[in-house]
Parts: sequence; structure tokens; C-alpha cells
Amino acid sequence: MNGRQPVVVGVHATEQALTLPDRDAMDLALEAVRGAIADAGLTPADVDGAQVDWPGPGGVPGEGSSWARMLGRDLRWTSDSMLDNAGSRGLLKAAAAISAGYADTVVVGGCKLVSRGAGPVGAGVPLEFADVWGSYVVAQFALVAARHMHEYGTTSRQLAEVAATIRNNGSTNPEAMMYGRGPYTADDVLASRMVATPFHLLDCCIVGEGGAALVVTTAERARDLPHPAVAVLGGGMEYHQAAYANPALYREVGQLGRDASARAYAMAGVGPHDVDVFSLYDPNSFEIIRQLEALGLCGEGEGGPLAASGAIAVGGKHPVNPDGGCLSYAWNGTQQMTLKVVEAVRQLRGTAVHQVEGAELAVVGNAGSGAQHYEMSLLGRAR
Amino acid sequence: MSRHVPVPTDLSEPFWDAARRGGLVVPYCPSCDLRFFVPEPACPGCMAPGWHYAPSAGRGTVYSVTVVHRAPGPGFDTPFALAVIDLDDGGTLLSHVDAGDPDAVDIGMRVRVDFRPLTDEITLPCFVPER
Repeated sequence: MNGRQPVVVGVHATEQALTLPDRDAMDLALEAVRGAIADAGLTPADVDGAQVDWPGPGGVPGEGSSWARMLGRDLRWTSDSMLDNAGSRGLLKAAAAISAGYADTVVVGGCKLVSRGAGPVGAGVPLEFADVWGSYVVAQFALVAARHMHEYGTTSRQLAEVAATIRNNGSTNPEAMMYGRGPYTADDVLASRMVATPFHLLDCCIVGEGGAALVVTTAERARDLPHPAVAVLGGGMEYHQAAYANPALYREVGQLGRDASARAYAMAGVGPHDVDVFSLYDPNSFEIIRQLEALGLCGEGEGGPLAASGAIAVGGKHPVNPDGGCLSYAWNGTQQMTLKVVEAVRQLRGTAVHQVEGAELAVVGNAGSGAQHYEMSLLGRAR
Repeated sequence: MSRHVPVPTDLSEPFWDAARRGGLVVPYCPSCDLRFFVPEPACPGCMAPGWHYAPSAGRGTVYSVTVVHRAPGPGFDTPFALAVIDLDDGGTLLSHVDAGDPDAVDIGMRVRVDFRPLTDEITLPCFVPER
């Protein structure tokens, strides 16, 4: 392995809960950063790049260079934008910086204390042609799901099987917000109240608060660190248009992620069927069905039967979200994307709560807005 | 409480002015002969400036629909049919289809525009079944 090969060496997830009334955003961000650095076996001064949300108090909210004072050293790399500080996108940008030599060790992450309730989709920014129609996150994804069901005969029961499978992973994960709730059957999902057709309440993800971070460095630096290094073997991103300004149309974004994942597989010289575990965005049950197709595990329109076949269970052919995902483990704003990386890293270290036996290759798929953007990374145990 | 009321921008003001007078207009780019929505600073087909609004006959087909039972805020009578409409003469809009029973709105349904005043300033181009 190339000495500058980017590898993940540290991860940390804070507690995740519906609300964390005793925590503030700075406290959570500090815990996430300190935790990931400690997990890596490093000290703050070893980190020369920070892609971390700066919540304040003090400084300009969002200004990444504020982390220099916290880390106790001048930084060589930073980022000011929320999505650049989370998940696959944050990881790929850190990896690119490390490969290029702009920095050696980068911490990526942050936290969210989100206000509860559905609310307009623009997260406080009015969307002129969406808000007035009562369009919001669940409804925008529903418009994509409804068209897939119309074109391919995908059923509500297939969606419910996805929700039940992933929720049951969370039911038995002590870190999950919904730990101890369930188990659920597809019938339970179908019996829960309708939110926006075809999505029942249990088809939709939870909303909560929490933080997460990860530390990326070079394979060379990772040699004497405590945990097995997890290599960033490939990745790709796709952006169709701005979030929620227009509704996502299945004909335009139904296969979003296909190009990103094809690029990632090609970089690593692998195919989708070589992947042992998938850590995928699950704002609702359907989005998993769509990604099974876009990630190349089956043809377009075949995701419903594949998902309902048992393939996505921890012991199945294509395990998805063994931690319980956003449906049951946690959704905390943009940092849910980082939690997807945390789970993939734990799976590849062999330390996950619901361990996929012998996992050597993992996909992290982040997305949003219907989905109108997709950020995918391919991680593997460094040898 | 009422729902969020659009605040017209330089880009959208002609759209809302037309709606208030009972007309549907959509952005049209003469450089590449494209009708599009939402209004953008330049044409999303060819990046040319200088598109203008063109009238639409207001007839189209439901591309997708969701029946919203839980609205994101106050001011909505639930359930309602939130739909994506492909206009016959070009452009794709988000809107509501009022067919009486929201569950009766299906993908492929033929619809026509039907204007519903929201405030003195803002009239909404909703849709109803064509016949």
C-alpha cells in the first residue's frame, strides 16, 4: 500500500437521543473530536486538519479555523461548510487532501442539536415553490418512491420489510435511540399511521441529536496506531440540483449513485457483489431499495424483491445498516452521515454491535433531498 | 395560523402576477427552446441569460403523487394530494391536485390548472382533474 494511502484510524459517536437537554453543541463537538483523536491513539497536536462544524460560543459560527486553538496548533487544512464536514463527502475531501500532501491527519465531524418537528424542508431557508405546497422531506422522498412503485410494481410490503429489518437491528443495539423498541414485523409497519403515501410512520427515520467524528491519516502514520487501519479505497459524488428547490423526479434521480459507485468500484478494482456490508442513508424504507439498484446489486426496478428477500439482514447477502441506521439508531442532522462511516469502520475492525462476520469491504452511502445528491465511499481493511 | 406565504423575488414576480390574474406562465429560453421550472438566474439548459416567461395552457399529466396526511406546519387541510405535474407545453411543477378524494389522484391522471387565492398578493396554481 502506498504510504500516503488515506486511512481511517479513529472514530467516535457521542450519545444519540431525541433530545440532549444537558448538552450544548460545543460540548458535543468537543467530545466527538476528542473521542475520535483518542480512539486513533493520537493527541490533538497530531492533527493538522479540521473539517469540523464550529458551533461557538466564540468565533464565527461554522468557521473551521477556530479549531486551531482547540487543537493547540496551526492547521494546514480546514473547511467551513456543514456537508463538507460529514460522512463520505467529508471523508473523501480529507482523503484527497492527505493524498495530495496538503495535510497529514484530518479530523472530520461535528454535531447537531436540532429543533424537533417536521417544518419546511429548507432548514430555515424559505423555499418559494416547495413550502407553499406543504412539501417537506418525507413528502419529497414519497414522490420518488410512488413513481418507482408505479413503474416497477414495488409494494408497500416490500418497503415495510426494509423498515422492519433495519429497525430490528436497532432494537437490539444498546447505542440506538430505539433500543428495546420492537421487534417489528412488516405488518406492524403497515399498521402504523400514514405520514405521506406510501410512507407509514415506521417507514420513516427518527429525529434526534448527537455528534460524531473520525480521524483520517496516511497508511504510513497508521502503522503504529492501536486499531487496524481502514483504507479509503474509492469514492464518488453526484449532485443533481440544489436541495428541495424542485421536487426530486424519479426519471432524473432514480438511479443517482450509479455513476459515483461505478467510479468507486473501478478505483478499488472490485464490484458491488464483493462488498460485505452496506452503511446506507435510510431516511425512509424506500431509499434503501433505490440504493440497492443504484449501487449495482440488482437491475433497475428489482430492488423491492431483493430487499424483501432477506438479503439486507445482518446474515444476508447484502447486509444493510446493522446498527439500526437512521430508522432506529440515530438521525442527528448532517452528522448522521458521519455515523454511517463510524459503523462501517467498526464493521471492518470487527468490533460492531451486530458484526457481519469477516467483513473486509464496506460501502458508505450518504444522500439527501429526495435524493438529489449522493456521496459514496468504499472502505476496506488495510493490509 | 396560516401556511408559509411565498415572497416574490425578481425572478418569480411575473409568475405570481400572472397567477393573480388567472394565468399560468413558465420560464422559456428562446436560445435553446426550453421551458423549465423553477425560475433560475440563467437557463438550466444552455446557461443563457435572457429567458422570459411564456404562457402555458395549464394542462398536464400527474407524474407522481403523494397523499400527505401529516402536514409540515399549520394552514393545510390534511389529507391532500401533493403532485408533480408535467405540463403538456413544457415544464414540470409541484402543486396540489384537488379531486375531492385525494386518494383518487393517480399517476397518469390528466389535470388542468385551477387558481386558488391564498392572500391578496398570492394566488396558487392548483390543479383539478381535466374533466
